[in-house]
Amino acid sequence: MARGWRTGVATLTVAVLALCAFAGVTHGFAAVTSDGVRRAALAGTPRALPPIGLVDAAGRAFSLADYGQPSQPATFVALVYVRCQTICLTTAAGQSWLQGEIQARGLGDRVRLLTLSFDPASDTPAVLADHARRLGADPALWRFATVRDGADLKPMLDLFDVVVLPDGLGGYAHNGALFLVGEDGRLSRAYDIDRPDVALADYLRRAGLL
Amino acid sequence: MTTRHSFPAWARIAGPGALLAALACLHPWLEQTMARHMGLELPALVLAGWLAGAYAGPGLARALAPWNANGLPGLLFAACVSGFWMLPAALDVAVLHPAVGTAKVASLVAAGLLLQASWSAAGIVIQAFFVLNWFWMTLGAGLIYQEAPQQLCSVYLADEQLHAGRAVAAWAVVGLAMWLWHVVRAAIRSDASPQDALPPRPLPAGPG
Repeated sequence: MARGWRTGVATLTVAVLALCAFAGVTHGFAAVTSDGVRRAALAGTPRALPPIGLVDAAGRAFSLADYGQPSQPATFVALVYVRCQTICLTTAAGQSWLQGEIQARGLGDRVRLLTLSFDPASDTPAVLADHARRLGADPALWRFATVRDGADLKPMLDLFDVVVLPDGLGGYAHNGALFLVGEDGRLSRAYDIDRPDVALADYLRRAGLL
Repeated sequence: MTTRHSFPAWARIAGPGALLAALACLHPWLEQTMARHMGLELPALVLAGWLAGAYAGPGLARALAPWNANGLPGLLFAACVSGFWMLPAALDVAVLHPAVGTAKVASLVAAGLLLQASWSAAGIVIQAFFVLNWFWMTLGAGLIYQEAPQQLCSVYLADEQLHAGRAVAAWAVVGLAMWLWHVVRAAIRSDASPQDALPPRPLPAGPG
């Protein structure tokens, strides 16, 4: 009798511990991938933008916290490095598509784009400017920037939960997403890198424009 | 089986200990690709736990018996641990945070140990329940890893998912085949000596 009772307690303990562990790592059973977990975490708890020193393609210094003020245009942010031949091309294509939609829908004063490079050693302002020109970026809508101080790289990547690993071939393996800094100045949404349409539709719906 | 327990204590510890030490030394290499991480490191950690349980002898199962009737909590623990480390998000945090990586090692070794200590007490019906559920879960995970269009792990590229998925699916098939072989062998043996055909005998009564 005691054995059955003890086994019941042990089984229940294992089950409860397992549920807690699964719930913890999946953000309450919301997702099984880190990207999905980040999406759920951002939607639940938007993040403030810390003062990270940046420099844009025109060589102007500014702070990431400048985007953290309420009642600004919403900004779609992506993290890339210019030499990347894989997902950054998808990212750039997505942001290009967004720029076209913003222009076509006359949303220029409501939605902006920001591309942040995590390879400040290679992506100097001149390289970023050249990159922006090749993408046909409208400087009034779409800004390219990187960190001024290499020490700010880690806080920036941590803020966006982006993992960058050298791939051994001089490039980087990294994950990505299309992030939204809302009008409240908080990092509040993440979307799949290849679904800018979903990102825009979600913005339009929540802004009451759809 | 009985010869194993006549090994001196140092030798019994050295087997699983050497395997763990080798895994610790190789861990940067093992975790460099998703296929080696899921296909080699995770199963090897369970194997280290299983070996530790085997060398510890029946005393371990006896000591656990009051809390582990029919091996139920032990097998449930092993099944949950196995499922947990198939989650891409869990694999990511294990690579990115050393504390979680340590918890991964500890949980998988414990899973192997409890699997070994619970195995004979479980009997064929409870074994079948866990093995078949584990098989479908693992095969499903392996197929999903192979087919997933998006990058599942932050720390591994999408290209690696195909190989990792194949390794996981292969382990599912190997696990099922090993259990079926064990069942067939036991059935043949019980045909040869009918007195063994009785349901699994309970473990010698422990305290409680």
